[in-house]
Amino acid sequence: MANEGSVKFATREAVDFVIVGSGSAGGILAKELSTAGFDVVVFEQGPYRKAEDFTHDEISVLYLNELLGGGPEVHQQTFRHHESEVAKVSEFENPAWYAQTVGGSSAHFSANFWRLRESDFKERSLLGPISGTNFADWPISYEELEPYYTKVDWEIGVSGAPGPYDAPRSKPFPVPPMPIKSAGVLMERGARKLGLRAQPGPLAILSRPHNGRAACSNCGFCMDFGCEVGAKSSTLVTMIPLAEASGHCEIRSECAVYRLETDKNGKVSEVLYYDADGNEQSQKAKAVIVSGNGAETARLLLSSASDSHPVGLANSSGFVGRNLMFNSHSIAMGVFEHPLNEYKGIQVSRLLHEFYESDPSRGFYGGGGIEARSLLGATPIRYADFALPPGIPTWGAMFKDFLASSFNHQITMTNSATSLAQDSNNITLDPTHKDAWGRPSIRVTYRDHPDDLATVKFLQDRAMELLDAAGATQSWRYGIHGQSGGAHLLGTCRMGNDPASSVVDRYHRSHDIKNLFVCDGSSLVTSGRGQPTMTIMALAFRAAEHIAAAAKANNI
Amino acid sequence: MPGDKLSRRLFLQGSSTLAGSSLARVSMPGMLALAEAACMARDAGATFETLTADEAAVFDAIAARILPTTDTPGAHEADVIYFIDKALGSFMAAELESIRKGLAEFQAGISGAFSDLSEQDQDAYLATRDRSRFFGRVRFMTLAGFFGMSSYGGNRNDVGWKLIGFDGHKGAWTPPFGYYDAEYMREQKDGE
Repeated sequence: MANEGSVKFATREAVDFVIVGSGSAGGILAKELSTAGFDVVVFEQGPYRKAEDFTHDEISVLYLNELLGGGPEVHQQTFRHHESEVAKVSEFENPAWYAQTVGGSSAHFSANFWRLRESDFKERSLLGPISGTNFADWPISYEELEPYYTKVDWEIGVSGAPGPYDAPRSKPFPVPPMPIKSAGVLMERGARKLGLRAQPGPLAILSRPHNGRAACSNCGFCMDFGCEVGAKSSTLVTMIPLAEASGHCEIRSECAVYRLETDKNGKVSEVLYYDADGNEQSQKAKAVIVSGNGAETARLLLSSASDSHPVGLANSSGFVGRNLMFNSHSIAMGVFEHPLNEYKGIQVSRLLHEFYESDPSRGFYGGGGIEARSLLGATPIRYADFALPPGIPTWGAMFKDFLASSFNHQITMTNSATSLAQDSNNITLDPTHKDAWGRPSIRVTYRDHPDDLATVKFLQDRAMELLDAAGATQSWRYGIHGQSGGAHLLGTCRMGNDPASSVVDRYHRSHDIKNLFVCDGSSLVTSGRGQPTMTIMALAFRAAEHIAAAAKANNI
Repeated sequence: MPGDKLSRRLFLQGSSTLAGSSLARVSMPGMLALAEAACMARDAGATFETLTADEAAVFDAIAARILPTTDTPGAHEADVIYFIDKALGSFMAAELESIRKGLAEFQAGISGAFSDLSEQDQDAYLATRDRSRFFGRVRFMTLAGFFGMSSYGGNRNDVGWKLIGFDGHKGAWTPPFGYYDAEYMREQKDGE
């Protein structure tokens, strides 16, 4: 019998698969392929934290970037809005946010788990072209992905109830929605007055025990924190344990991949990485799946340039790193008469998808969702740092009084929406800066499309109306500026049928290299409306099925 | 190699937890001892480890204007200054020099120590400086010291959390969480 977690593979013998990244996609691919009998090595640059290692320490997690492997001081990324600028290292936060820990960002996310709708996959056909963008249809449809969404619901564990505008589902949610919070009640109340319909937010958080895991304790530390009871359905607690129990999967944590080598036949043959002591190592592999995230994946492929692949691996289209999409965002804040205590429980118990579809009569492309969310009110330092309405000074007795009277009385309407794919928004290698391991820094170039900004402005107007209708005693909005960072790292190795305008095919195999696959947020063709992880996980289950079938048929 | 910078960061993060990292596992006991010593020193009214007494007096005074003592405790009672002293000696050590420089520039605008001014004069002077980078960093340290976990040296007896009604450190909750969901649950029950 396999000894759980103990299998170690020799670096000089080619394993069936190396998977780069243990997050939402990597964790699922690892479980699916290892339980199918393939030998798999998973590389994770962060440490192997378990549920009991996670804390409620706001200073360490939010300000010292504990789960992000340290901030810009350690992993220098650079940012600029336009290619004419010299990209700079940000002072406090890196532009591409992702966790460095086994389970990746599924360990620290808020776990909002929206499916895409039928329209998301074919908007280009439905709405027509948008000049200056790479707006395109997906090579797959909702119907093709639906069985895998359902697989995520049941194998990963998603709570929820069908909403009035949801795409059809083949099976009910495995567990009911999380308990409604005061913010959700107020959103429902406001929506009803305006003739709109709110719905429970689907979440990858268990409302009841499922698959041997415990239900949520409503501790309130979901967003940016790891879940100490394992109720958040990260791949750390859902997939990785099954992968390790198969006896065919080794999780090589604290190992940072810096290059993929190809052999004389043009296939990927070796994965070069720095081990926990910083020494250069190499793992031979029969096939490689890159599941870093939209920033790391692009960096790795671009960093692997060679004489035979002068612009990077899988990049004959030039699309590696291009079309970065963060989803656009705006927020509106409201204070209410009675206490809400939003620091308890999940982030989002109710949301509004009335404005999900793009509506040409608005005069711009885009759509999104509005969430009644704790956001800033979940933790006190961030609240005191940022949640001030106009007219409240940033220090002094009035400041202190505002914090004391508002912390438990406020909600944040969080609007998340579409981002258009553009050449000018991208991941490239910084020519000057390096990260802590000496790899070229991830350089992010990003400027929201005017339609994306118009969409979140539109949603912010609706959110202000909702707050008013719900009876807020005070409400305010923040100015809408172009984003200079994001946690949704999408589109940088898009899937498509045409090798001239996509990086991977409809099964996530790179067009250029037969034994190189890419599956993560970079695969997305359009951004959806703001909560991409459900789709990333569904794509991973689907990719795993096809990759396993190809391997069994000796077609890799 | 992740290099010294990474090692240092991981070491400092060990002050809370980073048990998954072999490096942090090694350094954890040391950091815990340090943290404990800082808290004991604070309780004993000991001198500061990083700041001079004069520097500490000014930071304490600025923090006390950011979150003043009113009918509820402010930054001074929360021991924010001990947090600042500890932070600048550990996870914010890289900023110590620039913050000291900022402090010198801040002090250069007045004769005598800021901490010796009346509260009114302190507020008037701060109003001319509250857009500076120096003030921004002191403000951040004040908020972190007031609302962060007390193991970092501030938030004494959880006064920061008590002020705003945050019980997040207690962990598990059952609904209803607030007024409106309690009302909603009652209505649902009545409707059955």
